[in-house]
Amino acid sequence: MTTIATSTERQLRSALARNVDAAFPDLVRELQDGIYSGALRLTGHRQDAEDVTQEAFIRAYRAMRGYDAERIRQLRLRPWVWTIALNLCRNTARRKSRKPTQGLGRDRPDPERGPEETAVSLLATEEWNRRLDQLSTPQRSAVVLRHVADLTYAEISEATGRPIGTVKADTHRGIARLRAMTEEEGTRR
Amino acid sequence: MNDVVAALESLRTEAPSSLLPTVLADVGLADRYCMVSGPTGPLYVAWSDRGVTACVPAEIVGDDAGFAAHHPRSAVRVSAPPSQIARPLDKALATGRLGALPVDLEALGEFQRAVLEKCAEIPPGEIRPYGWIAREIGNPGAVRAVGTALGRNPIPILIPCHRVVRTDGLSRARAQRESEGEDEEA
Repeated sequence: MTTIATSTERQLRSALARNVDAAFPDLVRELQDGIYSGALRLTGHRQDAEDVTQEAFIRAYRAMRGYDAERIRQLRLRPWVWTIALNLCRNTARRKSRKPTQGLGRDRPDPERGPEETAVSLLATEEWNRRLDQLSTPQRSAVVLRHVADLTYAEISEATGRPIGTVKADTHRGIARLRAMTEEEGTRR
Repeated sequence: MNDVVAALESLRTEAPSSLLPTVLADVGLADRYCMVSGPTGPLYVAWSDRGVTACVPAEIVGDDAGFAAHHPRSAVRVSAPPSQIARPLDKALATGRLGALPVDLEALGEFQRAVLEKCAEIPPGEIRPYGWIAREIGNPGAVRAVGTALGRNPIPILIPCHRVVRTDGLSRARAQRESEGEDEEA
């Protein structure tokens, strides 16, 4: 997982400001793993995560095509694309709550992994999905953006529109609750 | 606390490899392509949201990797063209006329575009010399440049550069014309 370095972000912004079409593939390459990983934990479904990630980049591209170079230079790319992705995750969750698809397309194992590795990773993944599901939406978003998508607190604050102190508190409380859940499950076994 | 954080970090994963080309195709920065049956064998056909951008016999490029190396734009493979391409493409391959098939020549220069658009007007069963195209596009001295433009035709078979001959009557693509039942000496 690559963290988008400040210098890389600056270079990307400059390149996008010069020519959106030429630099856009690099933006997708740089951010796609983080957005997809985070969306996968927020939606719990591979296909939903893929759809959210694709649509977030498509919307980002269309928006940038309408911006002048100066506006693109001002963009903080990662939180900006995440703002779009979070909205799409929320829309997906709303749609699913109206039309529940019991278990269908749930985060499935990766067919490229061996059966044993797949079984272990699927179990672990399902457990974490279930635990994350029990957090409040702000806690879940903060935890996933900080520790799965690897955003800084400042970036999460920008992406979610919540004060940085609140974001830190949400993250710490979310982690504490997850820890309590794993400990409780451990004593029950 | 760290055990939970480490477990969450281990949930990071790579995006599917199809994601980048799909996004690029959706925003118009990459084409989509598939294989279709052509008059003399399978063809790789690529298209943008404006129309067909490439048509290459599979025997020339070999496989998908060969097509990717041959095609100047990124392209993502799909199972079949959308209906607005599929129907007119079938008809164009069957009749030898572009008809309603949209083609996208925007990546080409103005001169080459003019040459190919004029070439597309040559009906099946007929041939024209390079000089005819040069005259028709208002550039009668550019016979050699017409030959070069046709030689770099990204959509052969559909844009019938095989129906253009040198002024001395030598063929560009005898085999393709023979498949259309043309008489070289006609």
